[in-house]
Amino acid sequence: MKITLGLDSTSLTRRYPRLAILVTLFMAFGVPMGLYVAALAIFPLNTPERLNAMAQQWFDFDLAGSPYRYLVYTVFLLLVAFIAVNYTAVFGGVSTWVERRVAGRMQSRIGPNRTGAAGFLAWVADAVKMVLKEDTIPASADNLLFRGAPYFSMVGLLLPFVVLPFGESAVVTDMNVGVFYVTAVTAFVVVGILVSGWASNSKWALFGGIRGAAQVLSYEIPAGIALMVPVLMAGTLSIQGIVRAQGGAPWDWFVFRNPAAFVAFFIAVTSSLAEGNRTPFDLPEAESELVAGYHAEYSGFRLAIFLMVEWANMWIMAGLAVTLFLGGWQVPGITDEMYKSALGTGLVPAPTWFVYQVLSMLVFAIKTWALVFTFIWLRWTLPRVRVDQMMSLCWKYLVPGAFLCFIVTLLWQILVPPVGATITGIVLTLGTLALLVKFLVDTRRNIDKVKGEHVDLSNW
Amino acid sequence: MAEETQKGTLGGFPNPPAKVRVEQSSPLPTRVREYFGHIADVVKTFWEGLSVTLSYMVRRPITVQYPDRTEKRVADMLPSRYRGLLEVDMSVCTGCMACERACPISVIKVSTDKDPTNPKQRVITQFDIDESKCMFCGLCVEPCPTGAIQHTREFESTMKSVDSLVFRWVPDPEKPAPFYRPVKGQDAPRAPVGEILRKKMAEASWIAPASILVPDGPNKD
Amino acid sequence: MAIDMQLDRHILRRTESSDEEIVVNFGPQHPSTHGVINFVTQTNGEVIRRSVPDIGYLHRGLEKIGEQVPYPGYMPFTDRIDYLAAMFANEGYAVAIERLLGVEAPPRAKYIRAIAGELCRISNHFISVGTMAQDIGAATPLTHALRERESINDLLEELCGARLTFNYHRIGGVAFDLPEGWAVKVLRFLDHLDSYIQEWDRLITFNKIFVKRLANVGIITREKAIDYGLAGPNLRGSGVNWDIRRDMPYGAYPDFDFDIPVGTGRFGTVGDCWDRYFVRVREMVESSKIVRQALAKLPEGDIQAKVARKLKPDAGEAVGRVESARGEMLYYVVSDGSEKAYRLRVRTGSFMAMGIIEELSHGIMVADLIAIIASLDVVAPEVDR
Repeated sequence: MKITLGLDSTSLTRRYPRLAILVTLFMAFGVPMGLYVAALAIFPLNTPERLNAMAQQWFDFDLAGSPYRYLVYTVFLLLVAFIAVNYTAVFGGVSTWVERRVAGRMQSRIGPNRTGAAGFLAWVADAVKMVLKEDTIPASADNLLFRGAPYFSMVGLLLPFVVLPFGESAVVTDMNVGVFYVTAVTAFVVVGILVSGWASNSKWALFGGIRGAAQVLSYEIPAGIALMVPVLMAGTLSIQGIVRAQGGAPWDWFVFRNPAAFVAFFIAVTSSLAEGNRTPFDLPEAESELVAGYHAEYSGFRLAIFLMVEWANMWIMAGLAVTLFLGGWQVPGITDEMYKSALGTGLVPAPTWFVYQVLSMLVFAIKTWALVFTFIWLRWTLPRVRVDQMMSLCWKYLVPGAFLCFIVTLLWQILVPPVGATITGIVLTLGTLALLVKFLVDTRRNIDKVKGEHVDLSNW
Repeated sequence: MAEETQKGTLGGFPNPPAKVRVEQSSPLPTRVREYFGHIADVVKTFWEGLSVTLSYMVRRPITVQYPDRTEKRVADMLPSRYRGLLEVDMSVCTGCMACERACPISVIKVSTDKDPTNPKQRVITQFDIDESKCMFCGLCVEPCPTGAIQHTREFESTMKSVDSLVFRWVPDPEKPAPFYRPVKGQDAPRAPVGEILRKKMAEASWIAPASILVPDGPNKD
Repeated sequence: MAIDMQLDRHILRRTESSDEEIVVNFGPQHPSTHGVINFVTQTNGEVIRRSVPDIGYLHRGLEKIGEQVPYPGYMPFTDRIDYLAAMFANEGYAVAIERLLGVEAPPRAKYIRAIAGELCRISNHFISVGTMAQDIGAATPLTHALRERESINDLLEELCGARLTFNYHRIGGVAFDLPEGWAVKVLRFLDHLDSYIQEWDRLITFNKIFVKRLANVGIITREKAIDYGLAGPNLRGSGVNWDIRRDMPYGAYPDFDFDIPVGTGRFGTVGDCWDRYFVRVREMVESSKIVRQALAKLPEGDIQAKVARKLKPDAGEAVGRVESARGEMLYYVVSDGSEKAYRLRVRTGSFMAMGIIEELSHGIMVADLIAIIASLDVVAPEVDR
């Protein structure tokens, strides 16, 4: 029997399928591209000298001497912050789409595929829904803390964007204590978790908050020590410095140049997973035990902030690992001198410089997305560890491992000549490639081992 | 068994969970081997688990994209024994009321009467099945001598009002259905299963108020 | 709030408490309690002092309904006593009434009962191990298990017309014979299943985190298991080699050759959660062996013994026990000569498992409680009926 919904109009995208595709393309490519272009255009300009020079050359205005110069600098900073926050939000949304589709196919089902082409607009719909939802606060909750808790987490999420380099010059600022700064500010997220757990006045939320605090605080230590390994190898705390000390080719990446760095990479990634509350360490929000843990009582926009923090944190984790260990934005074949020479004279650089920048941003994005995919893959494969096992993993395995890597790297830097690093680089690269190939072969064999299964990419 | 609250020994910290094995200190080489054995186990089992999950990405998902992206109507893809909505072919109903007796939850209501025009003939004046209560168990189908009542493969029966889910197979008590007399040695000429139901449901509109499908009859419950 | 605290205090029978302890309700709405069961838990931080199950949220009076509905009409209700292993619920009732009447199902019906039952056991164990993996945190194995279970659902749908509440058995036999070509489909599925379980083992059974979460957790010793009346995989996981199919044979099971998996304490102690989990995985393999043998040796004949439509057994009582997926399912029927039972009692495996949870809950962590409940394969409709 034909079921009509009693409404006169079906949705716009059902009536005009091409519109769905256009809107999807706009959201999928237009908006991120716009943000990237804005980042590339605005971020390098964001120093007082460049702003002064720009004001002088284009508007014939002496900004350096003007009493309003701080106002102009502030406006530019706000613009930069606007771009960074937008990037976080868009990335958070897009990564939920990627996660739902990837998780769907791994679980032998399809993820969202009706809202927009390939279900891409599902996150937009979710975001709009969250904003429009009723804002409930439990009657016995601590009002001020409850309202303020998500913003602590958001601050902890957004601050690392200040030093994360999207490309060779697309970085908000290149602090000379970049790594130290990042380790310090990511701890803000735990304040949000703890405060929300306490202020919700719900036992479940409290469980989640306490677990979260214990987890993030414990894992700060191996994370911090493992992040010191590339600092030792590069000799500087500045993130751009560390990236410049690596090269484009895989054997020039820090992860392969030193066996201790190889181990430290895995320790850093594991600790990052724990700090970001991703499975196998998602105890603070263990869905099957605590029913959403520390953000159980949240709804509407505040919940959207918590969720955005969790997903956009993946970008920070992956981005850090990529810049410190996997060569960051270094493109194979483009060296430092080429960047500098392409800069040219004058305020606006030559088009070659822009091409190099776009390439570097592309390389960074590809590497980070590959790592984000790995995080998603880990989440949907592994079970969750228990609280005491998480603690014992941290203190008995990761902390000694991290210390060992640190000391070995120290000795390596002192004792081993540079050619040793090159040899290790090539050996470890080839070894990793071999393992990767074996893994893919094993994956293919999995399908053959089960009777009745075959490769079939249909049913989207 | 009232247990007293035991305070821990370390300044009020809770008692640690009960240990299962008494931890004897095994010799150092064993412990070192166990330590690295744990790490090796982790790597090995993660490798296998991750390769299984990745391999699922290239297999066909089993999702059936109902209702609009299937090759056929889903109701036509179901096996023939599927116990969907009930259908009664009144032209072969013998009025024995075995189905009403067999139903454990009394969703079938049959009323019979003498035919006013023909005293030798009895007629069925009411045959109501309350599909909203039916549990699709199939106990009514078995005792039917002619196979008049059958489960079809239809399952979509959304109506706006619950009362509309009472299917009246004798819609007008003024036009009752006569008892069918089965012919010995021949199967009853029942219509193909599902035809009558599909026709009836195509004619009904789901947002119709209850009175269209459920006229005020003599035994309106 | 005041009523809550009185109820909790009543349930826990606690007269004093320390300041650090809180009382949490796990449920009745909770993703991991396998139905609507409330576990009133008194915890000190992460460590539980006591956890007492509070049942009855899903009580539907099914035993009372047995006194209101004639004997043949009660069969669909047995589906609802345990809808995940409905074939066994049907079979237990049918066996009990057959014993009351003194009839026996014909051989072909017994074989078909074994086939349908073992397929249902595989289906139930898929849900059991899949939801156990999800409670431990891995979401993917559940969907994979449900994917395999879909094949069994489709097979049983072809056989009897429904996917969950089968109503397939009748007093004296089964309702329908095997359809054309069904045996071939079943064999194809079993070929797939045997290789699939190896993939399942690689995905989750031996995963280090999974093993670490379950080994040495919730240990039930032999004596305790027998004292508390546990049955089925719970009992066998503790090392007790008892299976009604072999030790109190019924139906066609004496004709089949199969092993009974028993917990061995491979990664921890005998009777821990991992043992119970592993017993279930191995039972799936054994069930597929049984189905193969049954299909190969299927005798010809009737599928239902001659039983009156309006059943009026002589006054008396009878017991029917089957080895359900979740342990022993016992139907005790008392007849007073009329067409409805005088008393119908159902004893299910999950109800017995509720009793041991409080004892196991002393001094464990919240995550362990979830693991224990999952490993006991508790299903709320069985507990409450």
